[in-house]
Amino acid sequence: MKTDLTKLRNIGISAHIDSGKTTLTERILFYCKKIHRMHEVKGKDGVGATMDSMDLEKERGITISSAATNVSWLDHEINIIDTPGHVDFTIEVERSLRVLDGAVLVLCSVGGVQSQTITVDRQLKRYQVPWIAFINKLDRVGADPYKVKNQLREKLGHNAVLTQIPIGVEDKHQGIVDLIALKAVYFDGPQGENVRIEEIPADLKPEAAKRRAEMLDAVSLFSDELTEAVLEGRETQEQIVAAIRKGTIARELTPVFMGTAYKNKGVQPLLDAVVRYLPNPAEVENFAFDLDSSEKRIKLSSDPKADPVALAFKLEDGPYGQLTYIRVYQGEIRKGEELVNTRSRQKLRVGRLIRMHADSMADIEEASSGDIAALFGVDCQSGDTFVRAGLNLAMSSIYVPEPVISLAISPAGKKSSDHLSKALKRFTKEDPTFRTYVDPESKQTIIQGMGELHLDVYLERMKREYSVEVETGMPQVAYRESISARADFDYTHKKQTGGAGQFGRVSGFIEPISDKTFEFVNDVKGGRIPREFIPACSKGFQTSMRKGKLIGFPITGVRVTLRDGQSHAVDSSDLAFQAAAQGGFRQAYSQAKPQILEPVMKLSVESPTEFVGNIFGSINQRRGLIISSVEDGLFARVDAEVPLGEMFGYSTVLRSMTQGKAEFTMEFLKYAKVPAQLAEKLIAEHQEKGKKEEAK
Amino acid sequence: MVKDELIHRSPLRILEQSIHGGLGKGNIGVLASRKGVGKTACLVHIATDKLFQQKPVIHVSYSSRVDHIMTWYEDIFREIARSLNQESISDLHDEIIKNRVIMNFKQDGTKTEQVLRSLEAMIQYGKFAAETIIVDGYNFVQSAPEDLGKFKDFAAKMGLEVWFSASLKAEDPLFDERGLPHELKRHLDNIDVLITLRSMENLVQLRLVKDHDYPSPDELRLGLDPGTLLIAEP
Repeated sequence: MKTDLTKLRNIGISAHIDSGKTTLTERILFYCKKIHRMHEVKGKDGVGATMDSMDLEKERGITISSAATNVSWLDHEINIIDTPGHVDFTIEVERSLRVLDGAVLVLCSVGGVQSQTITVDRQLKRYQVPWIAFINKLDRVGADPYKVKNQLREKLGHNAVLTQIPIGVEDKHQGIVDLIALKAVYFDGPQGENVRIEEIPADLKPEAAKRRAEMLDAVSLFSDELTEAVLEGRETQEQIVAAIRKGTIARELTPVFMGTAYKNKGVQPLLDAVVRYLPNPAEVENFAFDLDSSEKRIKLSSDPKADPVALAFKLEDGPYGQLTYIRVYQGEIRKGEELVNTRSRQKLRVGRLIRMHADSMADIEEASSGDIAALFGVDCQSGDTFVRAGLNLAMSSIYVPEPVISLAISPAGKKSSDHLSKALKRFTKEDPTFRTYVDPESKQTIIQGMGELHLDVYLERMKREYSVEVETGMPQVAYRESISARADFDYTHKKQTGGAGQFGRVSGFIEPISDKTFEFVNDVKGGRIPREFIPACSKGFQTSMRKGKLIGFPITGVRVTLRDGQSHAVDSSDLAFQAAAQGGFRQAYSQAKPQILEPVMKLSVESPTEFVGNIFGSINQRRGLIISSVEDGLFARVDAEVPLGEMFGYSTVLRSMTQGKAEFTMEFLKYAKVPAQLAEKLIAEHQEKGKKEEAK
Repeated sequence: MVKDELIHRSPLRILEQSIHGGLGKGNIGVLASRKGVGKTACLVHIATDKLFQQKPVIHVSYSSRVDHIMTWYEDIFREIARSLNQESISDLHDEIIKNRVIMNFKQDGTKTEQVLRSLEAMIQYGKFAAETIIVDGYNFVQSAPEDLGKFKDFAAKMGLEVWFSASLKAEDPLFDERGLPHELKRHLDNIDVLITLRSMENLVQLRLVKDHDYPSPDELRLGLDPGTLLIAEP
C-alpha cells in the first residue's frame, strides 16, 4: 500500500514531565485500535504504558528514547515519534525533532506553562516545528484552561486561540464544546470510545458565543475569504478549518484543544486536529548536504519517483538484533533494494522493512518520502544517511567534532564489567560524539564526549539499561599543547654499548601551523638521510606529538621540516631514526615557546529577561566573553565564549540562580591559549603527578 | 603603519576637534538622516575607533540581527585596518571582539527602563567597563522626549557617552534654515551633539548642527566615502 502524502502526519508529543504525555499517547493508541486495553503510567498494573520502552523512562516518567509508532485515524496515517523532553542530549533531541513535521504540546490544566514547557517550546521554535496545544487534566482540582491559554500567550508569546471550551471542570468535567462546529461533545462508554455530539447546554451558550467570536477574530487574519464571510455572518466550518491550518503551519497561530486523557475525554477531537491542522510531509521543506560540493544545502523533493534519501534517526537493540528507525525524505525505499550509507560508503540491502508500534511490528513492502519505518540487520550508526548509489547526500553534517571532556570509569563487579563493553559499543554507535578507549597507562576505561551533561546521560543509561554500576573519576578537560615560535633541532642518537649499535642524526626545525594537527616536510638533500629512513623519522616526530612536555596532553599545530642528517652504514636503522626524531623534537619543543590550549565552548543561555544580570555575572566569573544578548520581550538569549574547564556544574548553578527557568546549550568552538596563571597551575599539577608516579 | 598612527590619523580626530574635545561623558550624540544614507556605517566607525583605543563599547540595536551587526563591524574593521600588516590585524581583531558586546532589543516589547536595566547589568555584573554606548534603530519619532531623557540620565549616572542614530521619515523639507531636522526638535534639550548626513552627488556630507551649548557649531569638514563607507575628509 502506497501512502498518500497528504494523508500522512509525522508528529511528536511534547510535554512537561507529569502533564500526562504517556497517558495521552496510550489513549491515542487505544482509540486508533493499536492496543486493546489501556494501562496507567508508572506501572500500577505492572505493565506500563506502551510507548516508553526503556526502563529508565518507565521509572522516571521521562523519555530519552524516541520510539516511533504508526497509527491510523480518519483515513490518515500518523507516525508518532516519541521526543526527549530535555535538552541535555543535543544529538538525540536534534534527530528526533528534525523527523517531526508537527507537534502536540501537552500542558497540565493546573500547572500550565512550566519551565520544561518553555524548554520544549524553544526546541520546537528552533527547529521550526508547527504545533497545536492540548490542555490535559481538566478533571484535576484547580483546572483552569483559560489561565493556561493566557500563559501560552504571555509566557511563550504564542498566538494561542481556544477552539474548544470545557463543559465543567474538576469533578464536574463532562465534555467539551467545539467552537468551530458549535456543538457539545461527550465521551461515553467505559473507555470514552463513543463520541456523542449534542446541542450546547443552554448555560454555556453565551460563553461559547463569546469565545467563538474571539477565535474568529484571531483566525480570520489568515484568510480574506473567512474575514468576508464572518462580516456577512455566513462563515463555514471548512473556511475556519482552512484558516486555522494556514496559521498553524506558518507557525503564527496555536490552536488550543483540551480534555483529560486519564478520564478518556477530548482525545478523539485532538486526533481530528492533528489530521486537520498539522502539515503533511510535502508541506515541509527538507534539506540535505551535498557532500560533493562542500556540504552545500540542497532542497529535497517529496516526489516518490526521485532517488531515495533516508535518515537513520534512531537505533534500538532488540531481541532480533539492531533495529534502525529511518525517515524517508525523498523517493521510495523498497524491500530488496540496494542502498549506500554515505558516511561509511558501505552498501546495504533492505532485507526487512517494518512499521513499528512501540514493541510490536508489521512488515511492509516499501516506505516512501515522508514515511517513518524501521530496518532490520543494517550495520550503521545513528545519523547515517542512506541513498541510492550515485547520490552523495547526507541529512546531517558528517563532520564530527572532537570530544572535549573525558572521564575515567571503572565497573563495580564482574557482572558490570561484562555488560559495560556491550553498553559502550551501543552508545558509540548511536552517537559519534561519544567515544571510549582504554588508557594504556592506567588501564582504565575512558569515556569522552561533548560536555559534562552529555557523559552524565550515558552513565545513567548504563545503569538503567545495562545494569552497569561504575565508579567515576573527576571529569578531565581535553587540553592540548602547541608551540608559538619556530625552533631548530640538531640531534644525534648514538648507542654503541654492547650488541648492535644505533646511529641516526636529524636536523631541521619545527614551527606553528594553524589549520592542521601535524605536517611533515622532507627537505633533505643529497641522500644525507637515506630515503628508506624518512618514514621512520616522520613516525618518530608523530610519536612525540602524542604527549607534550608541559602537561602530558597531545600536541597540535606543528609543522616539522627535516633538512639534514647523517646515517651510518651499519648502525642506522628505522628504530635509530625514530629515536633521533624524538630526541630532535624534544630538543626543539622547549625552545619553540610551548603553550597550553584549552577547549573554549560556545555557550548560549536562554532565560526570562529578569535574570540577565545573574547570567552576565555567571559568565564573567567563568572567564567568559559575552558576545551578544538578544532580548525579545520576555526572553533573553545570551551568547558567550567560555572555557570548558570553568563550566563544570554550571547547570546546577544556572538552575538555582534562575529558579530553573533558564537553560543553556554548549558546543565546542575552538582551542585557545590558557591564561598564564592557569598554565602555571596545570604544569605544577602535572609535575606533582609525575613525582608521585616516580615514587611508586 | 602601526596602530597608534592609525588612531592618530583617523578622521574622527577632526570630528573630536570640531565638537570641542569629543562628545564627553554623560552626553548624547545623534547622527540623523533618511534611511539608507549611512548612519549605521558612521556609528560602527565611531565604535571601531574606540575599540582601536581599547575602550570597550556596547552596541545596542533595536532593529538588526546580531549577525548583521557583526558583519558591519567586520567590514568597517577591514577597511580601517587595510594599511596594517597581517599579523597585527589578527591580534587587533581578537582584541576588538573582546571589547565589544552587542545587545539586541525588540523595540515593540522592550521599554527603555528594561534596556537600561540590562545595560547596567552588563556593566555591573558582566564587569564590562564600557565607556561608549552605540544605539542604533531607536525610534525618535514615536518616543517621548522624556524617554530619551532617561538615556541621558543613565549616561550621566554611569559616566558614558552615548551615540544614537535617528532615522528621519518626514516629508521634505527635512531640515530648517539652521539645518536642524524638524522631527528631532522636540528632543533637542536632551541632545548634546547633532550631526546630519545628507546625500550629495558623490559624497554623503556630514553637518554639525548642534555642538553642546555652543551657539554656532563649527563647520565639519567630513563626509562619508561611498566606496569604503568610512567617515573621511572630502
